[in-house]
Amino acid sequence: MKSGAVAKAALAAEPSGSPTSALAIQNLSMRFETSEGPVTAVDDMSFDVPVGSFVSLIGPSGCGKSTVFNIVGGLLTGHAGSVRVGAETVAGPHRAIGMVFQEESTFPWRTVIDNVAFPLEISGIGRDERHEQARHFINMVGLHGFERRYPSELSGGMRQRVAIARTLAFQPSILLMDEPFAALDEQTRLLLGDKILQIQQDLKQTTMLITHNITEAVQLSDRIVVMTYRPGKVKRIIDVDLPRPRTSEVITSTAFGAYVAEVWNDLREEASRGMADAESASQMRPSRRS
Amino acid sequence: MSLISTVEAGQARLSFSTRKNLLRAAIVIAVIAVWEMAARSGLFYRDVVPPVENIVAALAGILVDPAFYRNFAITLGEIGVALIIGGTLGFLTGIALGVSRFLTKAYEPLLFYLGPTPKIVFFPVLIMWFGVGSGSKIAMGAISCFFPLAISVAAGIRSIDPVLIRVGRSFRLSTWQTVAKIYVPAIREPIINGIRLGLGIAIIGTVLAETKLSNQGIGFMIIQTYATFNIERMYGLLITLFVFAIGSNALLHRFTRR
Repeated sequence: MKSGAVAKAALAAEPSGSPTSALAIQNLSMRFETSEGPVTAVDDMSFDVPVGSFVSLIGPSGCGKSTVFNIVGGLLTGHAGSVRVGAETVAGPHRAIGMVFQEESTFPWRTVIDNVAFPLEISGIGRDERHEQARHFINMVGLHGFERRYPSELSGGMRQRVAIARTLAFQPSILLMDEPFAALDEQTRLLLGDKILQIQQDLKQTTMLITHNITEAVQLSDRIVVMTYRPGKVKRIIDVDLPRPRTSEVITSTAFGAYVAEVWNDLREEASRGMADAESASQMRPSRRS
Repeated sequence: MSLISTVEAGQARLSFSTRKNLLRAAIVIAVIAVWEMAARSGLFYRDVVPPVENIVAALAGILVDPAFYRNFAITLGEIGVALIIGGTLGFLTGIALGVSRFLTKAYEPLLFYLGPTPKIVFFPVLIMWFGVGSGSKIAMGAISCFFPLAISVAAGIRSIDPVLIRVGRSFRLSTWQTVAKIYVPAIREPIINGIRLGLGIAIIGTVLAETKLSNQGIGFMIIQTYATFNIERMYGLLITLFVFAIGSNALLHRFTRR
């Protein structure tokens, strides 16, 4: 209860240049030097993440989604254009941004509660106080009763919830997630989506999700940014006007189906280009050898 | 028939760890038995392979000898200090090598080639630098245990899942916090294994140095008994050294398990 108030206070205290956008990405480009010459991974992308909203970035595999994730999170530099949090430009990991990774990222030597309390420990909060706050976020992701367990004793879905709770305990203004459910089965994915929806609605948590899953994007988002395949550009921005609060039941509605069809329409072309690329690459390999 | 089945049932009831311990005791008893037979066979000089009871008597004599405890404490102290100095340096070197690919490329081959080299070749130099007292023994032990610790810590750091480092960066950890909160706990096992290996060869290094040139310590006592042909006492001293080496390793092994 108390720490929930803390989270909201942190959210409100965050200085913001524009009153409506928490995160502004402008003319973002990124080029990598490879052995086969420079490759443009991200090309001139611009979009906003409004305060309190849920924005998904969707695109086929290899479109540069993870590059955007790493740049926004401040783990990757050398880009052109800007990423701004309020009035500040992101250059390195920013205090306002909390990241959730696609890979297994819990600390195996820490119990659930000590995993979740990790960012609080780093900011020098005493043991009792940080455990109390951590319990709040553990309950929020539905892991009450598992505080003393080690990650190896939990399922993949539970471990990912620990990682999400840990990032929430960092109390970021912007929650940035890179396919956090990629390794999970479809049912777990939908149920975890419910959890995310509930958390996002309770905390009014500004969230940016990187995904390649259309259902997930429509289920969770207020806005979907569709990316093109290589180089990654903004193909279209779709505002999802489904009622809130939502649960996974929304996937049975006709409006939901219409949005999924719309996103797929945009994505199909990009995904087939990606597939064609992958196929030609595998065909070229033997010919290169000869 | 019924007797056999009772015996079989009795064997089956023995737990795995009891059977394991029985087997262990059997090998010790077998070694003692073979030794005793060799001693009684008359094939060897009685002084070189004395009967077991003589060795036990010598061992009893050692255990009530204050000189033994004084020398043992000196050796123990030398090993301890060597482990602290060599271990700390090895640990820090391992961290530096594990974190920096550049340092790894530059120095790790050196570490690999120098690691298995018998360190006793440095002993004459160490005698000149640190004297015939404890200093040169500590230096020998420290050099010995530096290598296994540096190598296993460096390998441990490189095996850390890179996503954990990215998590640390996303939470804005300082370099020091990353080392203390991620690197060190993640490589707890390689550290303890490194210390175990290091302890083993720190004992070798220190005692070996004592046997070469010194006036105190267990190694000195052993070589003295050899020089004065007090072979029974020499075997007694070797047994105390065995027990110490095995005991200290077993103790460290306990720490490895959570």
